[in-house]
Amino acid sequence: MITRSLAALAASALLAALALPTLAQSALVQFTGQLLDVRGGYVYFTSGDAFKIAPAPKLADYDTGGPTTLTPGPRVFARAVFDPATKSVIELDLSRKRLAEDASYATVAAPLTATKATTVRAPEIVGQFATGKEVAVAFVVTVPPTTPINAQIYISTDASGWNPQAIKLDRIDGLRYRAVRRFASGTKFAYRVTRGSWNTVEVGDDGLQAPPHEYFTKEVDAQEARVTVFAWQDNRANTPVQAAQPGAVPTPFNPNPFPPGGIAPPSRATPPGGFPTPRPGLPNVPH
Amino acid sequence: MQDRASRGAQGVTLHMRFPVVVALLATVAFASVVIPAAATAPASLDIRAKNVDFFYNRFIVTADTGVRVRLSDGTVISGETFTMDLKLNRYLIAGDVHIDGAGVHQVGAAFAGYPDLDRSYFLPAEGTPARVTFRGMDWTHPDTTREQPGDAFHFPDLTGERSYIRAVGARVVPRTEVMFDQARVYTAGVYVPTPRYVVVFGTNSHFYENAFPGGRFDVALPFNGSAHSLSALHLRNDQYNGSYLAFDQHFVWDQDWIAFGVDPLTQEQREYNLIGYKRWTPHLESRLFLQESAAQPGIINRPINAAGYGQLQVSGGWHGSNFTYSQDNYYQYLLGLPKGLTDLNDFNYVIGYDPRWKEHPMDASLSYASGDIMLGGRLAWLHLRPRGGIGFAHDVYGEGGFPNEQPGPSTLYYHYAGGSLYTQPVRLFGSLQFTGLYDRQRTWFSVPHETDLGDVRLTLSGTRQLQHLNYFVAYEVKTTDDYWGAQQLAAYPANADIVTTPYGTFSGQAAFRGLATSRGYTGSAVYSPTASFTFNTILSRFYDTPAPVPGLFGQPPWQLTLDARFRLSRQVQVDVGRQYFFNFANELWSPQFLIQFSP
Repeated sequence: MITRSLAALAASALLAALALPTLAQSALVQFTGQLLDVRGGYVYFTSGDAFKIAPAPKLADYDTGGPTTLTPGPRVFARAVFDPATKSVIELDLSRKRLAEDASYATVAAPLTATKATTVRAPEIVGQFATGKEVAVAFVVTVPPTTPINAQIYISTDASGWNPQAIKLDRIDGLRYRAVRRFASGTKFAYRVTRGSWNTVEVGDDGLQAPPHEYFTKEVDAQEARVTVFAWQDNRANTPVQAAQPGAVPTPFNPNPFPPGGIAPPSRATPPGGFPTPRPGLPNVPH
Repeated sequence: MQDRASRGAQGVTLHMRFPVVVALLATVAFASVVIPAAATAPASLDIRAKNVDFFYNRFIVTADTGVRVRLSDGTVISGETFTMDLKLNRYLIAGDVHIDGAGVHQVGAAFAGYPDLDRSYFLPAEGTPARVTFRGMDWTHPDTTREQPGDAFHFPDLTGERSYIRAVGARVVPRTEVMFDQARVYTAGVYVPTPRYVVVFGTNSHFYENAFPGGRFDVALPFNGSAHSLSALHLRNDQYNGSYLAFDQHFVWDQDWIAFGVDPLTQEQREYNLIGYKRWTPHLESRLFLQESAAQPGIINRPINAAGYGQLQVSGGWHGSNFTYSQDNYYQYLLGLPKGLTDLNDFNYVIGYDPRWKEHPMDASLSYASGDIMLGGRLAWLHLRPRGGIGFAHDVYGEGGFPNEQPGPSTLYYHYAGGSLYTQPVRLFGSLQFTGLYDRQRTWFSVPHETDLGDVRLTLSGTRQLQHLNYFVAYEVKTTDDYWGAQQLAAYPANADIVTTPYGTFSGQAAFRGLATSRGYTGSAVYSPTASFTFNTILSRFYDTPAPVPGLFGQPPWQLTLDARFRLSRQVQVDVGRQYFFNFANELWSPQFLIQFSP
């Protein structure tokens, strides 16, 4: 008798457990994601899945389980609770904060979605897997050998509004400069190397304006981006910087040889009512 | 007899018009030859909503409440929310989506546009749910079987982000720029209203290559733009003009570009600059720079004096080598002589006047620079870059002037040859590496003298991985020699041994006869324990002959550079740097304390 009673009790408990979907099929009765819309009898998630929704689903606060002031709509996160029998969503637990997925797509959403699966491959869709983890990236730039030993070298990127001094590099030897930055994997940008202005941007190996370098952060622990600068726009011939330009002065030092006489006014003085072009600087004075 | 200056004064009209005509012709030439960009679908998106936000650090535009997006073909897509990643060039409209256009009227849950793939993805809310793909802007042939990107309908995560711009509308030109209407720009903690604000986000850097001279401070307010143009006001500050407004206009195509600038816009001493770049073939390019410097009180008043300068560069690339022709032209007194100045030969008439300005100096050169040549055999570790060129200078500052006042031709011809012989970093032992450079250039002038430039640089560098340290020491000898043969002492007469300048009295000048040497030691250490912090120190010591004279020539014998960079947040890095000159020209620390914020 006791045995029968215990067996009946166990059977009842089992039936009761099976009747409660969260106990019997916990992996199959709820799906968490971000909402796109609730329309036409379906709730749409950003995964592209559309689940049939009951006529009057329960709306609850995700954290408390109690009533919520949120309404299901775009950008709202939700946990959809399904009725396994009807495969309809009977409850939406809503939240503004980003919710972690609590089940895999394949086991939960795929069997229940009303959205038909696509069957035709789309070769135009290509991509590279990236989780967004931070990756240490070393930029190593080899400069022309005649670049002054104390020259400032920068990287300008489209991500920084092409600021010609966006990323400053440090000279590490006679030819190379280096800087380390951290970027999320998947980060992609274009960049050019400059000496601090657009008048001193790098040119290509044939001395002509070259397209910017393309950079992409891979899904790795550390990465190195190497660039060789062949010449600068303001010095395509790679002449040494101390070179006195022949057109500038008759000698590198003495602008007024063959005394006596010479030119009394100093050259490059400001003319009355205007100033010569290009605008004079203050040579030999640190600035 | 009428002197040249008077003739120049009478030719004011021609001089005034010449730079303008050249500028217009250049603009027309640049604009007419360029092939218009091929139209892609959509060429633009006009967004209207109650709230339009722009997140600058993510390059993401969002819009909420009553969103209405008009594509360039006239199709209107409305919904509850909109988001567009400008860098990835994809957008999403979600919530009560309606597509209305030629031959299409559909209701759905979400619409995602991928212009780069020439595809649009749609989740209809009528009938059975499906994943619909449209090709291009063909709305009449929906495809429900084609694979879609897995994240086609995903919203970007903007948790914790603050919008940089708030507006009521925006016009997005994919891959190029976005123009916000009735924008409020986040500045110093508040949203400052502006009628319009343009953000350029494309990979074409030529939108940013302005025609301004260097400044200490520059904040741009781009207020108008299109796929190929950008107009901006600038608030600038420099050491000559203080703080002022400036204006620049850009025209940009794939490779070609024009930048025009007026700087300052609000001060008397003004520059009108125009830079034009044209790529004629993959191996030939040209660059034109025109500048008019004007003394112009008021913004639109007639200038009282003006000078012009033009530079043309034509460059050709051939098998890794480069040929460049460069020409400079100078024009003074475009508006005639200043009032009261009649005799241009009387350089004492106006203090600071230089009689050479009555001429129109010019110079030109044709230069050749070889690509990198790796020597063979046992010398494979050596690289060579030869170069050479020819040129002339006519009445150029400091050159044409002296022949007019003294014996000598007004035109000077020259040719030069030189090259660099150098090594790539050669590993010695451990992490220690050696790099060497020997550079020499000789220039022969028609006025019989020659200049010889030499540079020898030896560098030892190393890395201490555990200490996160990179370091190098360099020894460099530069020689600059000017040989006049028998005229050496005439060209370089004995100087007084002591020179007095506003910076003090300096000795050691008597022995100089045109041959100068600079020996320098430079040491550097870069300490970067993390990717968020870097400290760089560089110390240089120079021994120059002749000894440097502040204000005349030479460089500070001691120079110490300190530079620290640290990341304040994920988006903001601070760079603090300064130099110390050890009391050269009364300077201890460099006048400017460099602090730069960058992403």
